[in-house]
Amino acid sequence: MRLRRCNKSVRTREGGRIVDEAAVIARVRAGEPEAYAELVRAHTGIALRAAAALGAGADAEDVVQQAFVKAYCALGRFRDDAAFKPWLLSIVANETRNTVRTAARQRTLAGREAAFAEAEPLIPESADPAVATLETERRAALLSALEQLSEEHRLVVTYRYLLEMDEPETAQALGWPRGTVKSRLNRALKKLGRLLPDFRPREGGDECE
Amino acid sequence: MSVSDGREPHEGAPRLPDELRALGRSLDARGGGGSGAAAGSESMVERVLAQILAEQIPVPVQEAGPTGVRARLHAVRRWMRRRRRALVAALCGLLTVLVLTPPVRAAVFDWFGFGGVEVRYDPSAVPSAGASVPGCGRSVTLAQAGRRAGFEPLVPDALGVPDAVTVTGEPRGRFLVSLCWREGGHTVRVDEYPARLDIGFVKTVREPPEWLSLGGTVSPDGIQDPALWFARPHLLSFWLVGADGDRYTREERTAGPTLLWTHAGGGVPGGDLTFRLEGVGSKRRALEIAQSLEQRQ
Repeated sequence: MRLRRCNKSVRTREGGRIVDEAAVIARVRAGEPEAYAELVRAHTGIALRAAAALGAGADAEDVVQQAFVKAYCALGRFRDDAAFKPWLLSIVANETRNTVRTAARQRTLAGREAAFAEAEPLIPESADPAVATLETERRAALLSALEQLSEEHRLVVTYRYLLEMDEPETAQALGWPRGTVKSRLNRALKKLGRLLPDFRPREGGDECE
Repeated sequence: MSVSDGREPHEGAPRLPDELRALGRSLDARGGGGSGAAAGSESMVERVLAQILAEQIPVPVQEAGPTGVRARLHAVRRWMRRRRRALVAALCGLLTVLVLTPPVRAAVFDWFGFGGVEVRYDPSAVPSAGASVPGCGRSVTLAQAGRRAGFEPLVPDALGVPDAVTVTGEPRGRFLVSLCWREGGHTVRVDEYPARLDIGFVKTVREPPEWLSLGGTVSPDGIQDPALWFARPHLLSFWLVGADGDRYTREERTAGPTLLWTHAGGGVPGGDLTFRLEGVGSKRRALEIAQSLEQRQ
């Protein structure tokens, strides 16, 4: 499916739902708070992923709830020519930072991952144990490589790939010029490549949207 | 050096972007994916909307009425003292909003938050034809209704003793009392409820309702004892108790000419009741009915 990118009617496809953002935002601003449900529904998944990737840990759900409420309060200031998702995710990132700072519980991404893995097996039980081990190892390697990047590089990789945003969205979420996103992304990928010398791609791992 | 926009191959690690995407998706796995994710987003919807309602967060553009405007001006002035430099840019944004959305602004300023009723302006909302006022159903006595609802139902003298009285549960532990009269083959119905019910009825109208004054005076500060007259049929949403007893759903029907007004009393401490009269086609008679309540006090 090819998504049209156009200012006035950005359609978001998330979790199988399509929301006409501009129309929904107009309804919310016209005094229909219930319409906001559609935005929340469409973006909960990616917001939770962002909170998890940025270090919210067990607080991810609370962080996302607060972020949605703050986004609602600020919706009057939302620029009509912007996309909702990167705007929301920058609020999620802020909330995550505040929560983590307040609680002084900043753990490494790898550490958080270990906690996740303990809580719930990430690999389906039916998977071949050898493959599962390999995947777990590769994940660990990727995560530790990410940890070794500078904050800026880690952020740009997180937004662009872990959160699957395109370059304009990444630029909007980080508040950087697009050229900066491009160049930092390139450098970050090179660095990751060097940090993962034994990196071997999965068989047939070509995933398409 | 040219770098493509999408999943560009990268030296030494041609699949690195894909692997990173997969890593991102694996962070979702805790929710269980599929129906688990859907349930997660539904519960997030409930949490967020509940907080917005509970904290009475204003609609994010322009808020209610003149006091809202005054408070806003105050805030703007205080803020201006602190941040003069940002003022011009901010005012430009504000003006843009005002200029671009006149109907919405009018709706928000003029009609939002009257009693427990929220009025939406929606030119595309076409009510179905042949609407009739629903009856009250199985009746309880006025005293029983008062005990169940937690406030004493007020009865407009002009209508006399109601033929039927019912109590309906509303969200957040509030109750709606409905009074019905049979009059020449159709139903006249009054719904009354504590005004602080946040969003009780939601009316979607295609043309603005008319402001009336029960007290007959219109001062520069506004209308004394205001009432809203909806001359034309409009769509009406309301809350109901679901089959399981505590879930509330919203349903819509077409409501005929309606008068809305508020009135202090009912034994609600410091509170107003909001009244909604349906089934009276004449504006003059509807006003008389509302005023017959005013005069009792």
